[in-house]
Amino acid sequence: MSSILESTAVADRQVDVIEAAMRPFRRASKRFWLAIALLTVVVVVGIAAWMYQLRQGMGVAGYTDSSFWAIYIADVVAIIGVSYGGAVVSAILLLTGASWRAPLVRLSEGMALVTVVVGAAFIIPHLGRPDRLMGMVIHANVASPVFWDMMAILTYTFATFVFFLLPLVPDTAILLGAHPDQLGRGRRLLFRFVSRGWVGSTHQRRVLHSAMVIVAIVIIPLAVSVHSVLAWAFALVSRPGWHESIWAPYFVIAALYSGVALVILVTAGFRRGYHLEAFITQKHFVRLGYIMVALGAVYFYLTFADLLPSAYVGEVGPTDIIHGMLLGPVAVWFWLFLVAGTILPLALVAIPRTRNIWGIGIAAVLVVIAMWIKRVIMVTETSGYDRLTNSFGDLFRFTWVSVSVTLGGVAAIPLLLMLLFRVVPLLSIADVQETTDETVEGVPELAVPGGSSHGRAVGAAGAVILLVVMLGTWGVTRAQPAHAASNPAVPTAGTARAIGAVTAIEVVVTAVEDGAENTLTARVNAANKPVAGALVNFYESTTMFAPGNNLVPLGAVQTDRTGTAELTYVAAVTGPRTISATYLPSFLGDPVTGTAILDVKEAVSRYQPPPAQALARAGETLAFTLFGLIIIVVITLIAQVARVRRACRPVANGSIEQASAT
Amino acid sequence: MTGGSKGHGFPVDLRLSPAGEELDMSRRNLLRGLGLAGVAAAGGALGLVAYRDEAQAATVEGVSGQEHQWCRVVDLRACKGERKCVAACQERHGLPPEQTWMRTLSWHDEAGKEFFMPVMCQMCQNPPCLKVCPVSATIKTDQGVVLVDQDQCIGSRACMAACPYEARYFNWNEPAPTHRMPAPSPNTPQFPANQVGTVGKCVLCADWIPYSNQLPACVEACPRGAHFIGDLVTDVAVNGQSTVRLSTFLREGNAVRFKEELGTDSRCYYIPGNGQPVGGPLVGVQ
Repeated sequence: MSSILESTAVADRQVDVIEAAMRPFRRASKRFWLAIALLTVVVVVGIAAWMYQLRQGMGVAGYTDSSFWAIYIADVVAIIGVSYGGAVVSAILLLTGASWRAPLVRLSEGMALVTVVVGAAFIIPHLGRPDRLMGMVIHANVASPVFWDMMAILTYTFATFVFFLLPLVPDTAILLGAHPDQLGRGRRLLFRFVSRGWVGSTHQRRVLHSAMVIVAIVIIPLAVSVHSVLAWAFALVSRPGWHESIWAPYFVIAALYSGVALVILVTAGFRRGYHLEAFITQKHFVRLGYIMVALGAVYFYLTFADLLPSAYVGEVGPTDIIHGMLLGPVAVWFWLFLVAGTILPLALVAIPRTRNIWGIGIAAVLVVIAMWIKRVIMVTETSGYDRLTNSFGDLFRFTWVSVSVTLGGVAAIPLLLMLLFRVVPLLSIADVQETTDETVEGVPELAVPGGSSHGRAVGAAGAVILLVVMLGTWGVTRAQPAHAASNPAVPTAGTARAIGAVTAIEVVVTAVEDGAENTLTARVNAANKPVAGALVNFYESTTMFAPGNNLVPLGAVQTDRTGTAELTYVAAVTGPRTISATYLPSFLGDPVTGTAILDVKEAVSRYQPPPAQALARAGETLAFTLFGLIIIVVITLIAQVARVRRACRPVANGSIEQASAT
Repeated sequence: MTGGSKGHGFPVDLRLSPAGEELDMSRRNLLRGLGLAGVAAAGGALGLVAYRDEAQAATVEGVSGQEHQWCRVVDLRACKGERKCVAACQERHGLPPEQTWMRTLSWHDEAGKEFFMPVMCQMCQNPPCLKVCPVSATIKTDQGVVLVDQDQCIGSRACMAACPYEARYFNWNEPAPTHRMPAPSPNTPQFPANQVGTVGKCVLCADWIPYSNQLPACVEACPRGAHFIGDLVTDVAVNGQSTVRLSTFLREGNAVRFKEELGTDSRCYYIPGNGQPVGGPLVGVQ
């Protein structure tokens, strides 16, 4: 504790950090409350619209059978997508040791946490029966990509929470040490709970840093898995436009692109609102802007790579989708996305005159909106394409309900962020301090010998998770049915005969069973003389589908010179049946029929169940392996929290007393 | 005829491409490799979540799969586009006009003659809809009928995205009360009436076929006998007017299956006729 106090005394800058981080804790301005009130109204309207939708059915949100997936699933993809931007600014820049990230990390981590929660919540209005949400757990189908979505999002949300929580430990300790009286009762209690035992010793810092590195390594593949799985919810069906192998990386890049844009917006907003100009400078925006447009260029390239193969080959479905995008029903939106979402932002960052906070901020607004539009196009166009008639049905139409629900969710993001940073410091004080007095403190940022080997191990674990996610996809979807063996029959010979006699013409039928083969013989006599060349139709009776005996034709055979027609047939089922043979003497005359009873002991059905695959349960094994890995990830994350806590333990009681004493 | 030895399920080989078999084999080998990797990596099975694949679905209703394997045959030579099957289906299941479990596609040839093709749930044996359902609400009975458990459906509409035959519909509003439960059929969870917020589709009048001799509504309604209901085990199919030996009928009619290339292994056979293509009408669709 004393070391913190000393270091705070050393540089004026650090006092500024603490003061700046506590700005949101002061009595808020009228403008703040006005903004909160406005945002709350929008959120409440959104919730009310959703209640209306629950009461009226999803039709009021503009959904039809030809636009069964539309705005809400696009919202899920877009809003969870921006969450990754927060994670990347923080995690990747942490791992690469980019010290300029320090003033941005808390804002971007907070944004990552808030947006993943809001984005995941959009699954609820998307569902037809949200009251059965528990079915996702109690009736879960491991083979379903929607189920993977749930698992990936939940794990990622937990990781985001840990990533947000850990750096709060030193920050809250510093604030408690500096201005305990200005915090207010609620915050003081919360901060004491979060930071209990933290004294800022070298050991504690090293443990915290190593824990943060591990969480950062875990969170990157987790976020990749979230966006891959979101893409697979589309790409694992055979619909043109969605069934694209490029979609998983395409979604990951889209998430990063729009996410960095939202980080820029959130940073700009809080910088302006709380006058953080001393910490967040134009340089930060320019760097973020570079990252954003680099991702934008990759996204542009992937868009082209996504469209070209289908357009080139000219297969009907994908071609129609591309045509619809370039010239058809959604063309306006697609070109709007292309210009406003990729070309304009690139230009705004590239041109030196506009490469400032305003220019980059406008570029970020364009990117966030255009990327949402792109997601809506992707979802609604393919959803509205009828694969039977190869034509577009009614495409999705916005209604006030779906727009209100979406706006409510969008408004919830700044609302939750503003409230969140009234509770926790909005600058990462320890990080800012460390970067400003790296030389004074002598704690090099990445030279943590204990953490790096751990980090490598967890990185490997992350790679295995990804690999198994992909293998699981494959295996589960290929699971084949297992079937029981067919019924055996004991070979016995049974003979039966009957005579069907009509006045002059008679047909005598004999049916003999020889193993599985039944020989049916019909002898046609006219006035006791055999009839040659007579066409005899054989039938067996069945009780299938109708009461009584229905006749199933077995074939027609002409009689030979002895008036005999013979037919060999294999019965499909065992049991007694009537065999009949019919002869039509003249075109207008009555048919002459003879019958015999045949009790089939041995039958061979032509239906053969598909053989059981040797590895029918491989998909299941892989899926459960995946669960094991998710549990390992969760345990790894919990272990990091536990490590930091353990590092705080030995002097826990003393430090709290000290903190309250100062 | 070689289909049986190939493990195809039905003796008449209706597959168009022999390359499919090779693909299948390499895939199986690959799967074996993946399985070994999976077993090696397995950290222990967790009994937390029910796993439903087709192997498990086969045990849903005891052993009666040995007795019947339902399928349907549509004789396109007979279809004249009267859409009486569609009307009967709407009536029987109380469906709103925008929800048609059976559709009759139509298109014109160069001479201007109109052709028709009824399309409904193809009762795939490798159903894409079953795999993607997050709550295991789509089931395949051991008699090969694909059904939606209306009490379990969460309304995610993932199955609507997955179905290549566009055979699934969502109950956007409260559906009209239906009487899908006539006397002989037991009350099973698979056959409750349609509910708002869930997905519905052709049920092959499955509440009728095993329990009574009543034929599916579309089969009974067709005045030309274009619709057949069949049983692969007993090798019999009927259209309400005549009875045929299924295997012979399919072989002689050069039966094909719709979108064979997707590997859905459907249980709906089309007897082509009048020269119209089966599936994929490209020009002049209504």
